[in-house]
Amino acid sequence: MSDADLAAPAKPAAIDARGSRILQGTGWARQLALPIALVLLLAGFGLADDRVLTTYNLLNIAQQTSYLALFAMAQMVVILTRGFDLSLGPTVSMVSVAAALAMAGIGGADANGIVAVLAAIAAGFALAAACGLFNGVVVSILGVSPLVATLGSMNIAIGVATTISDGRPVQGVPAAFADLFYRGSILGLPIAIVIAILVGGVLAFVLSRTVFGRSLYIIGTNPQAAAVAGIPVKRLLVYAYVLCSALAALGALMMTARTGSGEPNLGGTLSLQSIAAAVVGGTSLAGGRGGVGSAALGALFITILSNGMNLTRIDGYVQMIVLGAIVILGVVLDRLRLDGR
Amino acid sequence: MEPAATSTTPRNETAEPLLVLSGVTKRFPGVLALDDVDLDVKAGELHVLFGENGAGKSTLINVISGTFPPTSGSFRFGGEEMAELTPHKARAIGISPVFQEFSLVPSLTVEENLFLGRERSAAGILDAGGMRRRARELIAELGFDLDPKARVDKLDRAHQQMAEIAKALLGKVRLLILDEPTASLTERETGRLFELIARLKSQGVGIIYVSHRMREIRALADRVTVLRDGRHIKTLDAATVTDSELVELMTGRKIDVLFPAITHRPGEVAIAVEKLATADGQVADVDFFARAGEITGVAGLVGCGKSELVRAIYGIEPIASGSVTLRGETVTALDPRSSLRRGVAYFPANRGVEGLALSRPIRENVSMAALDLGRYQRRGIIRRTAERSLIGPIMETLKLRPPNIERAVGNLSGGNRQKVMLGRAMARDLDIFLFDEPSVGIDVGAKVEVYEFIKRLVEAGAAVVVVSSELPEVLALSNRLYVMHHGRIAALLEGEAMTEQNVLSSFFEEEAREKAA
Amino acid sequence: MSTTATLPGGPGRQSGQDILNLVLTVGLLPVLMAIVIIGTSLMSPYFLGWMNVVNILRMASFLAIIACGQAMVIIAGGFDLSVGAVVALASVVTAKAMAAAASAIGGPDILAIVIGIAAGLGSGLAVGLFNGLCVARLKVSGFVVTLGTMSATAGIGLLLTNGIPVYGMPKGFVQAIGRSQILGFPLAIYIALAVVLAMAFVQRRTLFGRYVYAIGGNQEAAVVSGVSIRRHLVGTYVLSGGLAATVGILLTALVGSGQASLGGDAMMLQSIAAAVIGGVSLRGGIGRVEVVAVAALFLTILGNALNLLHIDSRLQPIFLGLIMVLAVALDEFSRRRMSRV
Repeated sequence: MSDADLAAPAKPAAIDARGSRILQGTGWARQLALPIALVLLLAGFGLADDRVLTTYNLLNIAQQTSYLALFAMAQMVVILTRGFDLSLGPTVSMVSVAAALAMAGIGGADANGIVAVLAAIAAGFALAAACGLFNGVVVSILGVSPLVATLGSMNIAIGVATTISDGRPVQGVPAAFADLFYRGSILGLPIAIVIAILVGGVLAFVLSRTVFGRSLYIIGTNPQAAAVAGIPVKRLLVYAYVLCSALAALGALMMTARTGSGEPNLGGTLSLQSIAAAVVGGTSLAGGRGGVGSAALGALFITILSNGMNLTRIDGYVQMIVLGAIVILGVVLDRLRLDGR
Repeated sequence: MEPAATSTTPRNETAEPLLVLSGVTKRFPGVLALDDVDLDVKAGELHVLFGENGAGKSTLINVISGTFPPTSGSFRFGGEEMAELTPHKARAIGISPVFQEFSLVPSLTVEENLFLGRERSAAGILDAGGMRRRARELIAELGFDLDPKARVDKLDRAHQQMAEIAKALLGKVRLLILDEPTASLTERETGRLFELIARLKSQGVGIIYVSHRMREIRALADRVTVLRDGRHIKTLDAATVTDSELVELMTGRKIDVLFPAITHRPGEVAIAVEKLATADGQVADVDFFARAGEITGVAGLVGCGKSELVRAIYGIEPIASGSVTLRGETVTALDPRSSLRRGVAYFPANRGVEGLALSRPIRENVSMAALDLGRYQRRGIIRRTAERSLIGPIMETLKLRPPNIERAVGNLSGGNRQKVMLGRAMARDLDIFLFDEPSVGIDVGAKVEVYEFIKRLVEAGAAVVVVSSELPEVLALSNRLYVMHHGRIAALLEGEAMTEQNVLSSFFEEEAREKAA
Repeated sequence: MSTTATLPGGPGRQSGQDILNLVLTVGLLPVLMAIVIIGTSLMSPYFLGWMNVVNILRMASFLAIIACGQAMVIIAGGFDLSVGAVVALASVVTAKAMAAAASAIGGPDILAIVIGIAAGLGSGLAVGLFNGLCVARLKVSGFVVTLGTMSATAGIGLLLTNGIPVYGMPKGFVQAIGRSQILGFPLAIYIALAVVLAMAFVQRRTLFGRYVYAIGGNQEAAVVSGVSIRRHLVGTYVLSGGLAATVGILLTALVGSGQASLGGDAMMLQSIAAAVIGGVSLRGGIGRVEVVAVAALFLTILGNALNLLHIDSRLQPIFLGLIMVLAVALDEFSRRRMSRV
């Protein structure tokens, strides 16, 4: 019986209207901001050190970006739903160790390539799916905040990774595995880049053209409205977390192939980096905004930054500070975008 | 208890009134909520604000209580210009609002809430004993049955309302703002409140009172200001104005023009509910049915459980016991998805919260509840051209202006947002429609369109349930009208019996029954 | 949880199930603690030995102090992921400042000690202030801001020391603060008791405590009641930073050198776990520091028991993660059951 409907919801609507006006009005400027920053960054590093702009290094950047881009896409899928996955890094470690153990168990470096590779893939994805399922169920069915749920599973994954590996790198990765996930190339492009592009393309299609993808955006924008409209919110949230973990597992297999062993610390700072990449790229922590392109750009940005800092011999500790600053800057920009002030 | 309204003559006829607003305008992006409004309230006067939903009443009392500043215009209180007023300052100078949206912290106790923001303290340390004594005194003075040590989230709505009122009266009050204060109070508590209001008036407190209820206006008001579409329409002397005059000023037209004539042709029973109780206790032991080809209305005060009833039928309110039968088939485990598949649609009252994904385009919001259909997707992949060519015409028939279905819903006005919701109903085949406050927050023109839409549905043979707090609306639309009170059905009115008088009296009978029990 | 336990009957009717829930939630911590204590003391003779008990109490003290700050932040509706990094930073800064002051002044130790402690505390307060300002002024999520400062703070700590322990503090510091005992108990225990008592007082009897509850419980209501949101939000983060720095200083005194490896992610996670297990609601507005302190004690006992029972230390994160998720899920469950507003 009140006109509260006018006064109260007018506020979010107003913010939204203003926000989207900014998105529309200066859309090109905003969309080009990050690419321009990327070019400037590259140019800057290029001036500082002439090794930066070599073909070799650029290809190297592209390859490194592929890994982070996969993790950023994984993170983006759950951030779209107003979630988070802090367990992503430890999941990567866990998958790496489990895959290496599976291959070692089958006979190590001498094993029949295909069997070993299949075993690694099976073990890796099974563990990741279990982790994603755990996150998804705890978040959507038990109603625990994504933060605590994935903080919990992060601990569990760390425990599993260090326990099954005894805290040491697991050797015995057969050549076939490294060939498939690291050394191979298609049309001259390293396999990592090819995989990242393929996965990115499929994911972009899934998000924009399927009922599942559309529903994720709607859930992230307004979970209550999604539920009232008959979207199976709980089930799709579980899928989102499983998808996130599965993408992380794929990245983990690729990184394991690169290092040639199962590393219990492989995922170290990946949770933080993937969140940073997604957020810097423009995925909104408020949910419902973001996409494959933004995740990939964010990953590229962070990779160039750390590649450039490495080549110009900026201390690794300073890089931690820079990464932290970028995360904060990313959320501040996100907030400004939402407020439109 | 009816205080003699006419006996209180304003005291300082010559001095400036307590509150003077002149030319106050409040603009939200895209909405002109207040347009050049004048208002004055004298000390010791009860001034009623009267108007439809969206007329600007809430915005006005929010401006007066410092929640946000007016865009332009002057605002004087106690002879002083009010600039940069904050809620805190407003309270400090004696402006005390009682909002419908409670300003209580659920995890704190009543006593802690009463003093929130103005605790008695020395050097940052609370004077717990002193505050407890004052809280007890105040509650005793007000005659409320309220435990100062109870946590607010353990109280029912009526007791929360009492806590809210007590909070407003804790300090020195010069201007009290009451927004539908009796909405969830019982008759006895309402009587107490009226006594209290009379006492405050005799102490020279000015009161702004928002209400729709003629009875309350008759009993309490000195003057009535009518607002419509954010504009000040007229200020009248309560003693001389007639009811129909007020309603006419409020709606801007004769009431019978607003509602379309609907031909009801009752058919099969579409929804039958037996002994239904919801898990949150808001609905208890309700028997209810609705037939195809007619509108079944549900009337009642805020918090009476009428909204929970339809929400339970749709499957978003957990059911504790009882049964829901749709077209003769008893349904267990209700949820929105299966309800939609059975042809049941629900239109939430709060579209911003439960209806729409504001930053997504109109197209996606319309097809949202129908994406499981083969028309819109094949094996999980959305058929975008089909979607566009289906949704476009739907929004055209609903007269969406401008007709661009790719705009974000957040940019739309209240009326257009409701059209998006209606469009959703046309995006799939449905024949049972549950409307929760269908006209809240939309302008008169859009209301007429919503009513026309409902009329078309019913005349095409659908079963429609309209839940509304606006009596004229449910009275005019319904073929049969249930009246709910405290979670139970207080009456079922049909035909000639459907009058405002009967609805109101059935509340009071129910009240009396409850008291007797 | 204790708040729900001490509730007066109120006008509502409580069903048997609610009472069951009440017992369940209130009983969880004591019951778990009793099981662990009795079980371990039966299996290991060392467990109840004087040395071990003192050791447990000392470790629990550190955790309890940090968890108190974390609890205040969470009650106000925030999150502080930077506490672990602040411990490290404060340790390094304290040691550096103290060593520098000692060699520069050469005078009485006490002056160098005071300077060192002030510098360490100052560094923690500064990080807290930064977090608080970002959250309160820029209105960005506390979780992500502190994720950023966590990385940046850890980076600064490492940068200052290059990862090498800092020596050169006056002996008096280590003896007076690290090793001194009163009535057979180390100083840290008394400091922790004082902190917990002070914080319990703050929560119950001061404006700050009341407003922290109000802000976390219903920020809108706090605003319209005229509570200054910003100031109190900043206050919680500053408090958390200050308490974390205190632990950093105490740990420095205990180990005798400034180390960037102190604290870290493990301590941050444990502080959140202690708060959550101690009944602090992640939705804000609910929680008591004394229960959090008991939860800190419980976690320390659990870790100690697992060590004594020769359970692989790598498995311990798994227990922590599971208990945390369980505690929040229980909280969520009982909230849903009891919610009426």
